Amino acid sequence: MTGIVDAQRLVKTFGRVRALDGLDLFVQEGEVHGFLGPNGAGKSTTIRVLLGLLRPGGGSVSVVGLDPWRDAVEVHREIGYVPGEVALWPNLSGGEVIDLLTSLRGGADRGLRAELLRDFDLDPRRRARAYSKGNRQKVALVAAFARRARLYILDEPTSGLDPLMESVFRRQIERVRAEGATVLLSSHILSEVEQLCDRITIVRAGVAVETGTLAAMRHLTRTSFRVQTAATAERIADLPGVHDVRRESELLTFDVDTECLAPVLREVALSGVTGLSVAPPSLEDLFLRHYGDSGRPRSRTRV
Amino acid sequence: MWRLLWADARRDRRQLLIWLVGIALVVAGSAGAVSSEFSSEQARAGLLAVALATPSLLALRGLPNGSGLGALIFFQIFAFVAVVVGLLNTFLATRHGRADEERGRRELVAAAPLRRTAPVTATLIHGTVLNAVVAAVAAGALIVNGLDAVGAAVTGLAVGVTGFVCLGFGLLVNQLTPTSRAANGIGAAFVGSAYAARAAGDALGSPDLANLSLRSAWPSWISPIGWGEQTLAFSDNRLWPLLPGLGLGAATAAAALLVQSRRDIGASLLPERRGPAASGALRGNLALSWRLQWPSLVGWVVAGALLGLLTGGLATAVADATLGNPQITDVLQSLAPGGGGDITGIFIAALIGLVVILAAAAGMQGVLRLRDEEEEGHAELVLATAVRRSTWLLDAVIVAVVSVLLVLAAVGLTASLSFLLNGDRSHARAAVSQAAAGVPAALVFVGLVALLVTVLPRFAVAFGWGLFGVAVAIGLLGALLRLPAAVRNLSPFSHVPTVPIESWTSTLLLLALTVALTALAVVAVRRRELVI
Repeated sequence: MTGIVDAQRLVKTFGRVRALDGLDLFVQEGEVHGFLGPNGAGKSTTIRVLLGLLRPGGGSVSVVGLDPWRDAVEVHREIGYVPGEVALWPNLSGGEVIDLLTSLRGGADRGLRAELLRDFDLDPRRRARAYSKGNRQKVALVAAFARRARLYILDEPTSGLDPLMESVFRRQIERVRAEGATVLLSSHILSEVEQLCDRITIVRAGVAVETGTLAAMRHLTRTSFRVQTAATAERIADLPGVHDVRRESELLTFDVDTECLAPVLREVALSGVTGLSVAPPSLEDLFLRHYGDSGRPRSRTRV
Repeated sequence: MWRLLWADARRDRRQLLIWLVGIALVVAGSAGAVSSEFSSEQARAGLLAVALATPSLLALRGLPNGSGLGALIFFQIFAFVAVVVGLLNTFLATRHGRADEERGRRELVAAAPLRRTAPVTATLIHGTVLNAVVAAVAAGALIVNGLDAVGAAVTGLAVGVTGFVCLGFGLLVNQLTPTSRAANGIGAAFVGSAYAARAAGDALGSPDLANLSLRSAWPSWISPIGWGEQTLAFSDNRLWPLLPGLGLGAATAAAALLVQSRRDIGASLLPERRGPAASGALRGNLALSWRLQWPSLVGWVVAGALLGLLTGGLATAVADATLGNPQITDVLQSLAPGGGGDITGIFIAALIGLVVILAAAAGMQGVLRLRDEEEEGHAELVLATAVRRSTWLLDAVIVAVVSVLLVLAAVGLTASLSFLLNGDRSHARAAVSQAAAGVPAALVFVGLVALLVTVLPRFAVAFGWGLFGVAVAIGLLGALLRLPAAVRNLSPFSHVPTVPIESWTSTLLLLALTVALTALAVVAVRRRELVI
């Protein structure tokens, strides 16, 4: 099986800092893949290696079946890219930047460009230095989406966008997914990834610590219960897989491992329940398990 | 506010130290050289007699005020030092003014519990203290050479006050322009026109041959550098001509504080124009390189063209002045770098030599911009598209080469035109070939910085301009400071042949060197990562 992105045991060091420490990333053609991790985990460094802007110190990498360092130009023809920090030429207008960047990839689709400008509500005549962070982000997004690509690599693309624009962004992801394109979306915003992505890879300290579909990962997490009941908590608390039981007058709260749900539900039904809410397992928990339990990730510079 | 001042000063400390050491070396070096070369009263009187008869020399140097040793040094170096100190001040005002605002640093400071005017006040104090130090350094460098302490002090004050005027003007300009680039441009233009106004005033002045001094024409009196000259340090030691400078500096600084206290952060008096909604010609990486280069290139080309026009006009004046006076001819010939030959030809070589330096700077700017592009994150956007690393470099080199050619074409053509208007065909031809002869020397710097940007990206800007500065100093002052030939030969500017050109060997070697440096850079850039 070959993926559109296939990186194995990537290593990248900057001086004495090891930014990538044997990172694996596999993205299948046609999927929206979330690339999740805290600041400084190595997301941007990985992306720059995928683009052939940095040369890996170890491991192997192929993007659209080519070596991105050796065949950077051929690889780039297939890619729409939004960098993590969008820096534009201050005295070019937004429209000029969009046309310039798309021309370097072969030219924009005029219809798409107009539609994107309208949807993102962007004034293309303002000089880049007058744009806010969100507007600079929009310029980069329009430039990436205004020409169809086989692979979109988006590094924290919604930072600085308001909720309205985030929904415009999500519509664009849906569009390119429907057109058969692949998206690699790096983020540290969990809800965004939960909504958009088919599969995710969680990276921490330069290593991929978890990868798979969201459903598969939910098995790794716990479901949280809030039960209104007068019954005592002991029976439930003694069941296997129940954690963090707390009682505040009528309200009983606890978390349950996903594979132990059935006996807990039976016990809850017998406990004279007057009110019930059950929250699905969230990525948040997964995330906190990876970053929270074992203390802070090893410190490293942001690259 | 004092913390802010301290932070500003810390940020500048290395840079300012370099400027101060440079100023000290130039003043002390030229004072020493003039003292040894013109130790006798007679030699000094001979030189001044020539100068007074030659408006072009007056325009380039300054205001003669008697044949004393100190007075001669003041005449030789004051205008040059004043330009350097003026630029130091306008750059300082922008660095801590509009540049901070543009990068968003000012917003962090402005949100702190400080008066709105605090950053401007801090820069005003920072610059004023700096000018006092510059004045002391300049005076000290003269005193070390055994010159009269009073005259040295007056020279120092004149330099410091000129700097102060430029500081005040710079602070005000930073309130008005929308960008730091525009602020630096207007600041440099102010210093340049101060120099040009006094050049005109001195060239048109009425000489007093008995006292070997000059009464400047009115343009000198509207120039801050002119005011400094009028102190006539070492002869009259007047301080009152510095009063207008103090007044103008204080008035512009006060106006800057007033505007700062009333305007919004980021606001400017000169409005930002709206840009085009779509790019017309801006397609492809070469177009981008050109777009980024041409606004500054216009300045270089205009400067080249103006110096070219000056060449024709002044060269004729030199020839006229020397025509009936064999004594003057002798002195001028002994002063000329190549010695012997046609006075006008030597003059052409000297002026076009200055433009070769400008052309080299324009070319370097075109290539060194790549480093800015990379640091700012623009290169990442471009290199993530279908642009090869080698194309990215070569497009900048192409634009740089075109810049060099345009600047030298401008000076060659305008100089040639000004000779043709006087019906002087042979010198019109000489001007063109002299400009052509300068091309390889300027191109070497393009090749050099192309390699530096590729191989030593983090140091490219400092190294590039540092080497350029050394090469310029050797090229311009090498003969005056009597440096050994081996050292002088290190500067590409020493290898520009002068008209009539008999051998093109050195130019061909310089061209080959340029090609080699660029080829190495292309090979290296293919193996180079993005360096942020």
